[in-house]
Amino acid sequence: MKKSFRDFLQDLEKAGEMRRIKKPVDLRDVSALVAQSREATLCETLEEYPGWRLAGGLVATRKRLALAVGSHENEVAMRFEEGLDRPIEPIMVGNAPCQEVVVNGKDVDLSAIPYPLMHVRDGGPYISATCVVSKDPEYGRNVGSYRLMYRTPKETGIDLVSPSDMRFYYQRQLERGKPLEIAVAIGVHPFEMLAASYKAPIDMDEFWVAGGLHGAPVPLVKCKSVDLEVPADAELVLEGELLPIGWSADEGPFGEFSHITGDVKWNPIFRVKCITHRRDPIFYLLQMPWENDWLSAPVTEAAGLRALRNASIKPVAIKAPVGSCGYWTLIASIRKRPGEGKNALLALLSVAEVKLAIVTDDDINIHDPDDLDWALTFRVQANRDVIIVEGARGKHVDPSVRAWELGKGGLPTTAKLGIDATIPEGIPKKFYRRLEYYGRDKVKLEDYL
Amino acid sequence: MSPLAETLLEELRAGPRQFAELVDAHRDVKWPAFLKAWGEVRSADVLGRDEDGRYLVKAE
Repeated sequence: MKKSFRDFLQDLEKAGEMRRIKKPVDLRDVSALVAQSREATLCETLEEYPGWRLAGGLVATRKRLALAVGSHENEVAMRFEEGLDRPIEPIMVGNAPCQEVVVNGKDVDLSAIPYPLMHVRDGGPYISATCVVSKDPEYGRNVGSYRLMYRTPKETGIDLVSPSDMRFYYQRQLERGKPLEIAVAIGVHPFEMLAASYKAPIDMDEFWVAGGLHGAPVPLVKCKSVDLEVPADAELVLEGELLPIGWSADEGPFGEFSHITGDVKWNPIFRVKCITHRRDPIFYLLQMPWENDWLSAPVTEAAGLRALRNASIKPVAIKAPVGSCGYWTLIASIRKRPGEGKNALLALLSVAEVKLAIVTDDDINIHDPDDLDWALTFRVQANRDVIIVEGARGKHVDPSVRAWELGKGGLPTTAKLGIDATIPEGIPKKFYRRLEYYGRDKVKLEDYL
Repeated sequence: MSPLAETLLEELRAGPRQFAELVDAHRDVKWPAFLKAWGEVRSADVLGRDEDGRYLVKAE
């Protein structure tokens, strides 16, 4: 039996990682409250939204992410990779908790769901914790995560500027002059969120990946107004279509996962045709930036592991530091054969928009910044061990790619840097022997105290 | 258009505003009512954005 969003909330509570707020909370205050709580937050009463609750900051630390995934904190990527290696087909169900309440047509009103205002310079209230489902007749179902900015009771903006399978699907529909149907599930287990964040090959259904992570199939239910399927145990679902208007509607700014207030972007509009939810729904506020960054890290790390293995390299450990938002930097230690330091760099730099890759030997603890600095200091010659690749795929939220100079819908490029911090070929290993204290195995401090 | 939506439009005619500045000016309004009024303003199709992302009313 797969775990649900509610099961995860219970796990957090049992681990002492959940704080309940019993006083009624105004939606305009909720982000500041979640930011001040060391634990995940559950607001039990929301002003003006009877029957709704709100949970936020659920995976804002690696500890809580590890709790969600069920692994040691440094092994989340390996756990994620296991899920990728054993995908499980979802199953269809007839009745679903996420459809206990159905609101259709003219009754659709996004102001009736707890749409929070999150950051000072945001262009409007945002939904940040989405699992967005779309379909293409040739390539099949896709699941991704895209933010939604409130525009009107029936419309939101959606950030579709970055390259993605759904952007490609939308582009194909746009060329036919047709809308793209989408369904947005909110309040799903972190495994579904992780799978949605993973840049799977276009013909891979991310719900299979989520099933692999759970070790059980994800139950799906048919949507009420669009030809799509969503997780049956979601808390809330928005069904509708992306209008065939291209990248023409203002969206943003938004407090991005890069810790930066983004720019106004030009994006399509999502018109909502139907809202379904549980009778007692819990809205999920994914708190930027940390929650997004901790969710990104294992996805980037798993993609890095895959790239290394596909290049016939043996990785020992991998890390996407949260300082790079778990997205732009990959550090890996490998069991190296001659030349593989450079091969590993090329593999890691092929991952999504990773722009800095560092490779070390397996004697370096890449989770220890001092050990990593030591390798960078004594195993690197800048004229031999550094690779720069220009004109690779970039991401809009990185100000250094100057995305504002592009036209509407334009895609930025970036330069990528690789540093081979493995012992260079031709240098005898004896020059890297670490100092050892004389008598360290025999002398005990307590004997002298 | 509701009185609150009219007020929001007047405030934007007076000068560009961040969305949060509009929210701050009407903290006494219940959130769903504010969202509905904001939807009316957006539907009027008169809004533009300045380089800092502030909303403004385009030349009428």
